[in-house]
Amino acid sequence: MGNNKKCDIIIAGVGGQGVLLCSDILGEACIIEGIPVKGAEVHGMSQRGGSVEAHVRIGGIHGPRIPVGRADILIAMEPLEGARFSYYLNDGAFAVVNTAAVPFLGQSYQVNEILDIIRNKTSNLITGDFSKAAIETGSLKTLNIFMLGIASGKTPLQKESFLAAIKKSVKEKFVEMNLEAFKSGTDMGK
Amino acid sequence: MGKKYLLGNDAIAYGIAEGGAEGIFAYPGTPSSEITHKLIELSGKYGFYTEWSINEKVAYENAYGVSLSGKRAAVIMKHVGLNVASDAFMTSAYTGIVGGLVIIVADDPFAHSSQNEQDSRRYALFGKIPCLEPSSIQEAKEMAVFAFSFSEKTGLPVMVRSVTRISHGKSDVSMKEINFVHRKSSFEKNPAKFVMVPANARKALKALNEKQECMRKELEEIPFCCEEEGNETGVIVSGISYQYVKEIKEKDNLPFALLKISSYPVPENRISRFLKGKKKIAVFEEGDPVLEEIVYIIAKKSGSVAAITGKMDKFLPMEGEYSIETVEASLKKISNKPLPSEPVIPVLPVRAPVLCPGCSHLGSFYILKKVFGKDAIYPGDIGCYTLGIQLGMIDTCLCMGAGINTGSGISRFEKEKPVVSIIGDSTFFHSGITGLINACYNRSNQVIAILDNRTTAMTGHQPHPGTGETAMGGKNAYIDLEKLVAACGADRVVTIDPYRIKDSVEKLEKIKEEKGVRVIISRRSCIFVEKKSVTPFYVDTAKCTGCRLCMQIKCPAITFGEGKAKITRQCNGCGICAEICPLGSIRKKNNGQ
Repeated sequence: MGNNKKCDIIIAGVGGQGVLLCSDILGEACIIEGIPVKGAEVHGMSQRGGSVEAHVRIGGIHGPRIPVGRADILIAMEPLEGARFSYYLNDGAFAVVNTAAVPFLGQSYQVNEILDIIRNKTSNLITGDFSKAAIETGSLKTLNIFMLGIASGKTPLQKESFLAAIKKSVKEKFVEMNLEAFKSGTDMGK
Repeated sequence: MGKKYLLGNDAIAYGIAEGGAEGIFAYPGTPSSEITHKLIELSGKYGFYTEWSINEKVAYENAYGVSLSGKRAAVIMKHVGLNVASDAFMTSAYTGIVGGLVIIVADDPFAHSSQNEQDSRRYALFGKIPCLEPSSIQEAKEMAVFAFSFSEKTGLPVMVRSVTRISHGKSDVSMKEINFVHRKSSFEKNPAKFVMVPANARKALKALNEKQECMRKELEEIPFCCEEEGNETGVIVSGISYQYVKEIKEKDNLPFALLKISSYPVPENRISRFLKGKKKIAVFEEGDPVLEEIVYIIAKKSGSVAAITGKMDKFLPMEGEYSIETVEASLKKISNKPLPSEPVIPVLPVRAPVLCPGCSHLGSFYILKKVFGKDAIYPGDIGCYTLGIQLGMIDTCLCMGAGINTGSGISRFEKEKPVVSIIGDSTFFHSGITGLINACYNRSNQVIAILDNRTTAMTGHQPHPGTGETAMGGKNAYIDLEKLVAACGADRVVTIDPYRIKDSVEKLEKIKEEKGVRVIISRRSCIFVEKKSVTPFYVDTAKCTGCRLCMQIKCPAITFGEGKAKITRQCNGCGICAEICPLGSIRKKNNGQ
């Protein structure tokens, strides 16, 4: 997937976790490298604590949405949301899944059972309580960038492009914090 | 100028700026709102005017006025907004325009965030004006630019129809330097053209009908259309579906011929040429079978014998948006190729959108239910509070402003149950106020709750006349809702704070048995607007008996486990739960707790 600079990435999470910012940074990084890029996301009603999904198609020239079964990478900031979009993954896709569940009204679920749905799709995955890890490196607000860091090595994009894209996409006073989170993420992804 | 990674709506905004619109008017609505947000951002740089108008009709008429003064104007709305603007829209085609007038309408196939899936292309055909339909984000930007000059060329308003996947898609977009030109304002009196009394209207319709042929001719050569040769099977496609078709065609090397349509009226000669020698034609489009119907007519006229397939023979779905999977399966069927296997989609609990922790609506709903009961009839409206459906507190939702009038209708004959209409502040200014005046004047018997959270929350916190702010950051005198409601003739106006449960319940018990139009203004800023530091609450587990009363608020920050309530770190510190807890076991956190 790295050779022809094509890579389809699904980012899943819950409203407020910063799914859309991740998509912006990936897109900016593509612009920096001169690679075509397309994307799709969900706004509006779905953001009131609902599921949020973003598709980013590095090297994409046509459709904004990734075809089912053809995503190369899944970044899931919440386990249930990761499982929900796991059917998009291709065989051998890479998944990074946060095991910290965000509960919602009237529903409870076993994180392990949920993770099995993703494990059935791919064995190439990294799981962990990344919410905790993000808090330890600074703030829960950087969970998205931390997880993007973990996945960044699996994309065809250069680390420098990510760093430049973060500087461009994040409010100035939060840049340092997010760059730190990204670097911690990249170390974990190695 | 290089490329930018843009949201479709941002790209459209750049197109509008590049097209030279000096007056921009909009009412927010998903999936269209970000276009105006971006234009507000650009307005300072280029010196154009951007306004959040109070509704789409108002926005349309303002833009029309700018156009009549010779300047270019744009009006932006979601698909259902065009229903509100339709009165002005229809006759503006009769009078024609002066400065280019562009209508950006964002349709929402699959109703991701809407009450219906209506297809705006029908409106363009109904109004007899040109409609451009982009198939990509880059094209959406180019079409917005093109629409202004085409509007001036034809003398008609021009519609650009976006859809959710264009508006909320993202793409690398080639940018162009904007050389913004300001024109001199020059309204010229021309009553025969602009005053639609019957005698003028009859002439105007004739002129509009005569323009149709000229429009069609111009659009034969529209630069956005494109064609690929192939075998005896042809695919005709419009809008975002083009990308899906292209992707599958390239991936599997499918040999069908392809024609992309980018405008209405369609390039009839081009379609007619494309049909020649074809045995099979498939039409792909999102929404109604608008293009398909036209292809049938052209096939009949041109004597084509091709079998036409699409929505009308149920080959493709009539409802929802197309996915690449739907398109792939259909293309393989018509190309006689093996079908891809059906994906196995895991069945998981749905994480539905909910009202936020600390949302003032949670307090309002709790109070209304406590006073008027769950059996009262609650006609609703459109906004965040439509989510009150999850609390059993929204019984109807039809369109913007419908709640009060539906309530008047129900209460005209309903004598047993109280009728309590629910409407938000922005929706009230949009189209609720006429309903209130009517209810007061024609002696309706209902309670009207205006949930005033000081913003247009659902669509991204746009200001409205009750807030004292304007789109471009101006501070104006806000409209006093209490005085306005009283002036409309309400029999009683009561203001409550939805965070103060006991106090509010007491106030409302007094008006419960009264007759006439009783308006409750439940005022508390949306938690996103009033950004202050919050002190979260916690449950003293030693005291909590697990009575679950606090669970009735349906606050997402309150969970229940091991027989006790628990407040999660999502708490925004509103304190509603603390006020209703009978044992005082919910308390504000002190430092370090």
